[in-house]
Amino acid sequence: MSVVVRRTIPQIIVALVIVLMVVFYFFYINADVSKGFTTADKALSDWAIVITAIAAIVGGIDILRYHVNQIRKREKRQIVFSCVVIVMEIVMVLLACYALYSGIAITTQPNFQWLYTYLYAPADAAMYSILVFYIASASYRTFRARNPPAVLLLIVAIIVMLGNTSLGAMIWEGFLPLRDWIYNVPNTAAFRPITMGIGFGLIILGLRLIIGKETTWMGRRE
Amino acid sequence: MAKEEKRKPFGMAHVLYTLLIISVALPLLYPVGLPIGISSTTKDVYNYIENTLPAGSAVLVDLYYEMAARAELEPQAAAVVKHLFEKNCKLVFVSTVTYGPIVFELLKSTASDVFAGKEYGRDYVFLGYVAGNEPAVRSLAESIRGTVAADNYGNSITDYNKLPMMRNIDKAEDFKLVFIVSSGTDTFGWYVRQWYTAHNIPLLFGALSVIGPSIKPYVDAKQAIGMLTGQRSAAEYEVLVGRKGLGLAAMDAQSFAHALILIFIIIGNVVFFATRAKPKPKEVGKK
Repeated sequence: MSVVVRRTIPQIIVALVIVLMVVFYFFYINADVSKGFTTADKALSDWAIVITAIAAIVGGIDILRYHVNQIRKREKRQIVFSCVVIVMEIVMVLLACYALYSGIAITTQPNFQWLYTYLYAPADAAMYSILVFYIASASYRTFRARNPPAVLLLIVAIIVMLGNTSLGAMIWEGFLPLRDWIYNVPNTAAFRPITMGIGFGLIILGLRLIIGKETTWMGRRE
Repeated sequence: MAKEEKRKPFGMAHVLYTLLIISVALPLLYPVGLPIGISSTTKDVYNYIENTLPAGSAVLVDLYYEMAARAELEPQAAAVVKHLFEKNCKLVFVSTVTYGPIVFELLKSTASDVFAGKEYGRDYVFLGYVAGNEPAVRSLAESIRGTVAADNYGNSITDYNKLPMMRNIDKAEDFKLVFIVSSGTDTFGWYVRQWYTAHNIPLLFGALSVIGPSIKPYVDAKQAIGMLTGQRSAAEYEVLVGRKGLGLAAMDAQSFAHALILIFIIIGNVVFFATRAKPKPKEVGKK
């Protein structure tokens, strides 16, 4: 494939779409133009939805392919997990297809729901719950008054922790308002520049895409 | 290998873990019922729904959380939905994450008291999972009928015999509030850009505790009417709406777990200062 087909045309399409989306979002010319823009804008949004839905299917196929390859390679440590993934994926897809065939919503299919509620949900919740041990252990080891900034962090952490619990209010009623103040003032002051920075970063990314400087979205360079 | 040999079979970390399990499990099994103060953030949300939101308004509820976040977010969602139903609001549930449909079914089953007496299609509708992330959110703002052909159960959105409430609900302007219950950070930004900035629709955030600080600037900038964060807010809201749910039940556990962690932080610091105060042994073999 020539460089024009492989790189230049996609870049032009992306730049064009960005410019159009910016125009749709920020400018109002007149009712007719706006209506035309809205229709085109809706079409673009719909395309994005369709692409995302197809990407989910592609993702499912890719996971299947990856784990089939793992089994083919006979990786001793991986093979059991790969088998579980493949079996579960096939079972879930089959149950979903059966639900569609029966004319009911996939999520209300009893077997599908059972597997999700009693197998996936507890496993996912357990994985997240393990975090509490890491957090507890980390806070015990790291919240040490080594220097003035660490002392400040320690004080703030204690106030927020006590403010978040009923126990804190029993010790001193001021913990909750103090926690709210920390949330509202220093926290917002710290996060607002971060949010603005992300915004500026996105603008720069958009500009780089328009002028064709940003090419990472096209995958590896050839 | 040498490190493994030296590792203690039951060190300080294991003591902490064991005590932590006990401090979480015991209050859940035997609730103490510690009193809960209401924070200004939660009070603001309650007051908005109670006093500012017109009765019978259409409200969009985006359930964007997975199982891991369910413990923190489901009690929030149930409490707020109860409040909205009490105000006879028409709720359009949607999910922009694949877990959404199951999460909605679980919400309905665990908060069956909230949905009791409410009729599907007349009082609430579930659109199901809508793929596409931010473009999907944008598309929903422009037209629900143009984005979703059928609800989660296969009923056509334009079948007004089955879904009569959808007759007058289609675009962002038909809603008086959007309640986003999300375990992610990006979701809130999508709605700020596509629903608040573009259509000036009030937003309400329901987030995890760890996400709270990062979305607070939106609330302070009045781009959202308020936010609920974590189990604490859920418990506070349950107190306000008079529903003894999972939020309240888990607050005792959270209180004891936090207290335990604080004790260990203090122990950690005492040990730190004690070891620092000790004179270092003189090194042998060096000048």
